[in-house]
Amino acid sequence: MNLVLIAARNLLRNKMRTVLTILGASVAILAFVMLRTVLSAWSTAADYSAKDRIATRHKVSFVISMPKNYIDQIRLVPGVKQATYMNWFGGKNPNKPEQFFATLAVDPTTIFDVMDEIVLTPADRQHWLEDKKGAVIGDVLAKTLGLKVGDKFTLQGSIYPGDWEFNIDGIYSAKRKSVDRSTFFFHWSYMNDSLPESRKDQIGWITSRIDDPGKGADISAAIDRIFDEKDVQTATMSERAMNLGFMGMISSLLKALDVISIIILLIMMMILGNTIAMGVRERTREYGVLRAIGFSPRDVGTFIVGEAAFIGLLSGVVGLALSVPIVELGLGRWLEENMGAWFPYFRIDAQTYVMGLGLAIGLALVASVIPARRASRLLVTDALRRVA
Amino acid sequence: MEPSIVELKGITKTFQRGKEPIVVLDGLTLEIPTGSFEALMGPSGSGKSTLLNLIAGLDRPTQGSAVVAGANLVSMSDGELAKFRARHIGFIFQAYNLLPVLTAIENVELPLLLTNLSKTERRERAQTALRVVGLEERMKHYPRQLSGGQEQRVAIARAIVNDPTIIVADEPTGDLDRKAADDILNLLERLNKEFKKTILMVTHDPHAAERAGVTRKLDKGQLQ
Repeated sequence: MNLVLIAARNLLRNKMRTVLTILGASVAILAFVMLRTVLSAWSTAADYSAKDRIATRHKVSFVISMPKNYIDQIRLVPGVKQATYMNWFGGKNPNKPEQFFATLAVDPTTIFDVMDEIVLTPADRQHWLEDKKGAVIGDVLAKTLGLKVGDKFTLQGSIYPGDWEFNIDGIYSAKRKSVDRSTFFFHWSYMNDSLPESRKDQIGWITSRIDDPGKGADISAAIDRIFDEKDVQTATMSERAMNLGFMGMISSLLKALDVISIIILLIMMMILGNTIAMGVRERTREYGVLRAIGFSPRDVGTFIVGEAAFIGLLSGVVGLALSVPIVELGLGRWLEENMGAWFPYFRIDAQTYVMGLGLAIGLALVASVIPARRASRLLVTDALRRVA
Repeated sequence: MEPSIVELKGITKTFQRGKEPIVVLDGLTLEIPTGSFEALMGPSGSGKSTLLNLIAGLDRPTQGSAVVAGANLVSMSDGELAKFRARHIGFIFQAYNLLPVLTAIENVELPLLLTNLSKTERRERAQTALRVVGLEERMKHYPRQLSGGQEQRVAIARAIVNDPTIIVADEPTGDLDRKAADDILNLLERLNKEFKKTILMVTHDPHAAERAGVTRKLDKGQLQ
């Protein structure tokens, strides 16, 4: 027997209260894990950006297009191995307009040389190259839309209005889990040829593969210098910076999620603090007995803090155990299948597990500081007189 | 004549109630010889428990000197007083005050957690103490599974397990029926006679006081 064992046994005194407290705190941990996973999944694309790729966009914003012929000059810049271009099409499934997936008009001859993490069979690739109305879609999107090679599909344009018909020529998979497998790629020329003269030959951005990642900054500067004196100037940056730029559009939302996760933890701390304070109040007389038989104020404080650590540990373990089926297997799979463009890889990372458990224990300890301090400062004679 | 184990001189204890000071013990002097069994009687509010608390090192006098088991309690810090209690004092409370989450033997073992004894030694000592109070067969029982008299016997085992110099008992039979009270008083008598323990017992019960060798009466903060 030792003080830790007594602290653990104290948890069984009021089983209902202990169970409800642990459940309440573990739901808070579950919510925290869910929000942290949303944040980390959102930044996955940026974290997994290729080091040897740079992106060039309009200097003002990536939503403003630039002349297509810029790519010819970029391909001539020393250090650029290959370059490809694309436009954000903004197409929707007419049957389910609320369904979100990325639709990109791309150059089929170069896209897979630059984006080599996308896997497509040579036969499907060849088929697509020869079919101007062809499209290649990710396997997750194919499953969501119920499409297979050979099917026809119509996109409803928002930036480029109208109904756009496509033949599904290939279904791609990916070499890495962080790659969005819900994108709809089609020929840029199919889109361009259908546009009025005033909108023709404009591209959204250019992605280039470079031969030395260490020279990314120099090559980017060299590209931008070419267009310094032109009407449309460019901003070239690493792929990571480009992805972070996309995320910047939703930075307020990310900050809000951060704040919510902190609020959730504070609520959890208050739940734990209340339970610990109630337990201490009820057991004041027992602490008086412990003091009377020779335990020091510090021993009494340690006793209470130990009990809090137990509650925190149990809450953390239960919260994380619930997170696996709910966040990773349930919500995570659904998001990957239905919102793969935003959450290509929605899994709880090791850091979040450690943080969840650490915070559960840490906050329980913090919540116990005031009750422990009060109990250890009680006069023994007063504590012995106290009736629970 | 045995030497005194408790030497109190000119003890005054004053409590503040709002702005008004209440004198509970008023210049009290007391000597208790080693190995005696003394009863302390007096009306409610006479200062019995306060005196017991001072002797046990739970409280300090406002004035005067208190030497118990050779230790000057007045000059001790809180930590030193805690060590003093662990080494020299065995407590018996009216309401037993056992920890409900611990079995009888674990309750008895509790004071030994403050010693350097091994787990086995602690267990053996606790078993011996329970044997002395006649409850060895109930050592795995929780307090809720014991009668009031049995609980008090476990509390006595807890009080003697660390072989204290003095046993202080505050109304040890106050919550018990006559039969159980007699058992407890027999046990205290045995501890005093057989094991030579000095016992100071606060009681309202003249029948209990008769069992002690000496009965002292306290009234208005002074010994009569």
